[in-house]
Amino acid sequence: MADVQSFYSLADADLSQAVCQGTACFAARHANLEDWRRAEGQLPRVYCLGKCYAAPATGADRSRPRMVVKSRTAVVLERIVAGGAHALDAYVRGGGLAGLQQSMASGPEATIGQIERSELRGRGGAGFPTGVKWRAAAASDAPTKYVVANLDEGDPGAYIDRFIAEDDPFALLEGMTIAAYAVGAARGYLYVRCEYPGAIGRLEQALAEARSGRLLGERVLDTDFSFDIELVVGGGSYECGEETSLLNSIEGRRPVARVRPPYVAERGLWGLPTIVNNAETLASVPWIMRHGADAYASLGIPGSRGTKVLSLNSLFRRPGLYEVEFGISLREIVEDLGGGLASGKLRGLMVGGPLAGLVPPYLLDTRLGFAEMRAIGASVGHGGVIAFDERTTIRELVEHVFSFGAYESCGQCTPCRLGTRRIKEIFAQAAAGGSSAAEQQEWEEVVTALKLASLCGLGTGLAEFAESILRHYSQELRACFA
Amino acid sequence: MLRVNINGASHSCAPGGTILSALRRAEVRVPTLCDDPRLAPIGGCRLCLVTVNGQPHPMAACTTPLADGMEIATHTEPLEQLRRTQLRLLARHYPREALDRPAANEFLHWVSEYGLTGELGTAGAAQRIDDSHPCIHVDMSRCIECYRCVRICEEVAGRFVWRAWDRGDRTEIKPHDGLPLVDSNCVSCGACVDTCPSGALVDQTARHDGLPMAEVRTVCPYCGTGCEMHAQVKNGRLAGVRPVLDSPVNHGHLCVKGRYGWEFVHSGDRATQPMIRRGEDWQPVSWQEAIDFVAGKLTQIVAQHGSQAVGVLGSSRGTNEENYVAQKFARVVLESNNVDCCARVCHAPTAAGMKIMLGTGAATNSFEDIEQARTFLLCGVNPRENHPIVGDRIVQAALRGAKLIVIDPRRIELAEHATIHLQLRPGTNIPLFNALAHTIVAEGLCDPAAIAHVEAWEKFRQFLDDFSPEEVAPLCGVEAEAIRQAARLYATHKPSMSFHGLGVTEHVQGTEGVMCLVNLAIITGNMGLAGSGVNPLRGQNNVQGAAHMGCDPGILTGSVPVAQRQIFETVWNSPVPTRPGLNLMQMMDAAQRGELKALWSIGYDVALTNPNAGQTVRNLKSLELLVVQDLFMNETARVAGTVFFPACSSFEKDGTFMNSERRIQRVRQAVPPLGQSRTDWEILCDVARAMGQGDKFAYRSAEEIWEEIRLVWPAGAGISYQRLEGPGLQWPCPSEDHPGTTILHREIFSGDNRIRLRPIDYRPTPEQTSEDFPLLLITGRALYQFNAATMSGRSRAGLFQLNDRLQISADDAARLSVNDGQQVRVSSRYGQVELSATISDAVLPGQLFTTFQSTAGWVNCVTGPHRDRFVQTPEYKVCAVRVEPLEVAQDTTAR
Repeated sequence: MADVQSFYSLADADLSQAVCQGTACFAARHANLEDWRRAEGQLPRVYCLGKCYAAPATGADRSRPRMVVKSRTAVVLERIVAGGAHALDAYVRGGGLAGLQQSMASGPEATIGQIERSELRGRGGAGFPTGVKWRAAAASDAPTKYVVANLDEGDPGAYIDRFIAEDDPFALLEGMTIAAYAVGAARGYLYVRCEYPGAIGRLEQALAEARSGRLLGERVLDTDFSFDIELVVGGGSYECGEETSLLNSIEGRRPVARVRPPYVAERGLWGLPTIVNNAETLASVPWIMRHGADAYASLGIPGSRGTKVLSLNSLFRRPGLYEVEFGISLREIVEDLGGGLASGKLRGLMVGGPLAGLVPPYLLDTRLGFAEMRAIGASVGHGGVIAFDERTTIRELVEHVFSFGAYESCGQCTPCRLGTRRIKEIFAQAAAGGSSAAEQQEWEEVVTALKLASLCGLGTGLAEFAESILRHYSQELRACFA
Repeated sequence: MLRVNINGASHSCAPGGTILSALRRAEVRVPTLCDDPRLAPIGGCRLCLVTVNGQPHPMAACTTPLADGMEIATHTEPLEQLRRTQLRLLARHYPREALDRPAANEFLHWVSEYGLTGELGTAGAAQRIDDSHPCIHVDMSRCIECYRCVRICEEVAGRFVWRAWDRGDRTEIKPHDGLPLVDSNCVSCGACVDTCPSGALVDQTARHDGLPMAEVRTVCPYCGTGCEMHAQVKNGRLAGVRPVLDSPVNHGHLCVKGRYGWEFVHSGDRATQPMIRRGEDWQPVSWQEAIDFVAGKLTQIVAQHGSQAVGVLGSSRGTNEENYVAQKFARVVLESNNVDCCARVCHAPTAAGMKIMLGTGAATNSFEDIEQARTFLLCGVNPRENHPIVGDRIVQAALRGAKLIVIDPRRIELAEHATIHLQLRPGTNIPLFNALAHTIVAEGLCDPAAIAHVEAWEKFRQFLDDFSPEEVAPLCGVEAEAIRQAARLYATHKPSMSFHGLGVTEHVQGTEGVMCLVNLAIITGNMGLAGSGVNPLRGQNNVQGAAHMGCDPGILTGSVPVAQRQIFETVWNSPVPTRPGLNLMQMMDAAQRGELKALWSIGYDVALTNPNAGQTVRNLKSLELLVVQDLFMNETARVAGTVFFPACSSFEKDGTFMNSERRIQRVRQAVPPLGQSRTDWEILCDVARAMGQGDKFAYRSAEEIWEEIRLVWPAGAGISYQRLEGPGLQWPCPSEDHPGTTILHREIFSGDNRIRLRPIDYRPTPEQTSEDFPLLLITGRALYQFNAATMSGRSRAGLFQLNDRLQISADDAARLSVNDGQQVRVSSRYGQVELSATISDAVLPGQLFTTFQSTAGWVNCVTGPHRDRFVQTPEYKVCAVRVEPLEVAQDTTAR
């Protein structure tokens, strides 16, 4: 349907020559102003190629990031730091499939129990307890259910899902299979964004190999359980990372947010019970089943168990992927892991993408944890960590973030469709000579509307970012308004 | 019940609704823009936000399910501020020019209420204006992206015309191939206009007229669906039509004819003066003169030739009350049972066939069953065009997973949604229906509980032996396996609901075709249950009522045989004639023999619509007196009329109509009668008075007539005008405390009930193709015009199809050297007609289809003399013809 296709900005785009204008590339624009100007002028726009460690990034760049395990035990990066498991036999040698076998030996109920006891929470941004989702879907007696892996890692700044797909794809497939077994689903969808062409290729290979290796298809691992996965490639839309939009996208409908309730665990894909989990969440599942919930829950801090892989951007001295346990402080992340900024002073730290509050330098002693971050109006999010140095002004940052928000808004609800654009206008105008006091009031009113009235997390997330600016950067803001 | 607190006041509400539904019941108004009760809520505009105890953020009232104990606040200052902020964002993109002309506009209403009129923007881009469509004016610079047009076109109309393109603030609403709308697949139902809250989509007729002054709830004058509509009135004239939202029939939806087919009322050629033909000329006369003339002539003819020499035709355009008066006039004043109506040429076979088998000659189920059925059997019926609201509801059911079996020679629109389309050869319904029954029996798919009540089951079984799908497949022109699949689906994917139309009845075995459908429903147990039954889609608004009121030579009001006339004689204080009357076709035959001398034709263009028009016209011309009572000087009047009585349209009178599902609904006067026109019942009563029977026709209102109908019709006794203030009642409704009957025959498969099935042998029509007449012509209706186009042809709905067009397959067209749009001559054994050909993949090679609306073509010049052997309904659906291209290729039709 041409009308639905027109929603997607990159459906026909050639990304091999694209330049990225994601937030990490924006933060690093001074390193290559020429590329940045090209990125800004490029249509369609490209927000985040998952190369924030080498920003401003280009489609042609093939470099890999530094990958370091800082947690006591590697959960997600175990095989990735060892060079990856691109073939099924290598995966099995690296401990793969033991989790699925354990799950099938103990049964669906025990599997869900393990996930619940591990206290695993979603790594895609919302941090929802995975076990609760699974139990809700398992409780339904609908004859057909679905498992969906969300690999639409659109949050600028995060690139862990990309490397899970490229270097440990079977962990993702195994995690999905365990989930399907636990809730009684026979079909899965792996939704991957088109900005990750390398991941798409690897996943296609892995799916083919998994089918011939009896990990997928009829009678998985010679049991009575059957499960298969279809790969769906996105068309360039940040909104598709929102789970209900993602389901609409798979259904071939316009990928706008759906109202909830009903929740997707009750009525998801084609109206049937569905669990949607992020890639890193699913990749953690085999480890939990293999080593037990207690081993996992012994990592991290209360309320935030296990590990998280952080994606540090290029403004750090040592950008790259770091698997850490929850509880690590932001200061340790900035100074010990990242080695501080390569040049200049830190203006703020964006953890979890632009849909979360900016952390000012004076709050760096906050510990990484769902509740801890929430307490300062920030978020764990997707684990992207973007440092901004003082070359980026707050006015520029707000304009960038809301330009991104307006471009990626699905348009379904009023505050997001029109409010993001209005804020962008006000801050663009501020550059040209200042916006008025009336506009200052309007921006604050629109932020409130975004926060309280948005239909999905895109609008509310942008409001959280804006609120952190209002809270922590009032001085810089004042300069924007006459 | 749920207890909820709204702004400090306690309310009890039924579970299952949203907060918004509770607010509406409590009459608490919150602004909404994207909400429409016809549509699934999307929570898009975010104006209906309310606070709910225990919830950290405001909740959208339209999408949040109501829960017990909710404490809801709707107008706190923070909520009002949120509304102001968002309305202001919307207002900035909306042109202030819209204020210049007052119009119903929800958006501007709220902008004004929140004091934001000053925030409105400047003129929109001219390229977003599209004035191409005859019915709908498009100005997308006034679009506020509520998606209601997109949603209603999908969720109600099932047409998918309006689409949302791009995303975010770049979202644009436009048809699949962009504007202009007139080039899209829009069917002009107006649903998008009806729902649009911002004036982006408006009726062309409403653009310059401003706000209507009054709205009158009434019933559509077109097909037998019986959609309820609000007639909008300004300065004593109709100004528009809107659907009634809470109507159980149409759920706030109308089709192009209902919505944009009302301008005929004020058409410049409305004949509004009584006239008598003197020589060739029509002479305007006073009512008194016309009435005295007719009364005198009728008296004289009856005296001279007897009461068998006069006849009356009631009208499906008339109300139940008027048809009741018409048949009473025939029986009491003329002392004749020569009374009929246009049911004769459409569903008389249904009424007869179903009455014989089930005891009631009407639809067994209701439109609300469409949402219950899992399978639809659609036989010779094209609801997407001819009963669009039913068709659209079936499409929605199909989109939700219901299965469709389409039995039709043509690839009708619903075939696109069908699991199985049996594209049979015209005239082979009986063997096909029997083959379906054969398969059901042979494959053991009967409903045993139903079969237990069937008499002589073995005999029926044996009868079917000769009708295996393999046996009939070559005759019917369909695959045997497809017949088997259809049979399995109908018998097992239950409940299965059958709908049929004139493709079943307008055959020489029409009545028997209906009986076969009843056989199928019985043996599969698809009777007496929600979502099942045998359901005719009646062609005209009140054709069901006209016949049911007694405009039929054999039956009195309530479908009672003349033999059971006692109650009538008591109430009428008059004997009821017992001599069998003539039906319309028999009246025509009697005229041909010189035995019928006078005919009073009410709201019925016999000349244009009867088959074998040449003979029909000769018959009409042979009459001494032909009274034509109509809105317009129709063809019957033009060719043979002697007196013209100007009648009122349904917008000009009170009364009731009866729709296809036995529902009696109120028709209400919206505008005064035009000129000197009068209601049918008033004219009838005046003539009765002039003929000395005034005391039996002393009605002062339609309601008084209805009260008399209740006395003679026990199944309608419970229906009063007062009760009809609501959404209509379905008979049987024997007492005032009876809720009406949605499903008939609920007890059919219980107790000691015995059911007789009918073995129907195939008797092929004499109308066969030959070397001279190698093609089969089917006639029927289409979306934009209605029968003889008397009303649609004088309204903008009809602009989409100005002339009849002959659908011909590409194969035949190539073989006969006919180009698309070329004029061709169609000749049959009975006459010929010139039509514009249109190459279509809807018809198979060897078959043709045309509508019959225009006098330029006069399609019924070619249709033949064959009739149903039970009730004489003409065989309009099978006519052997040949087609020859005319030398000069010309296309006189326009969009």
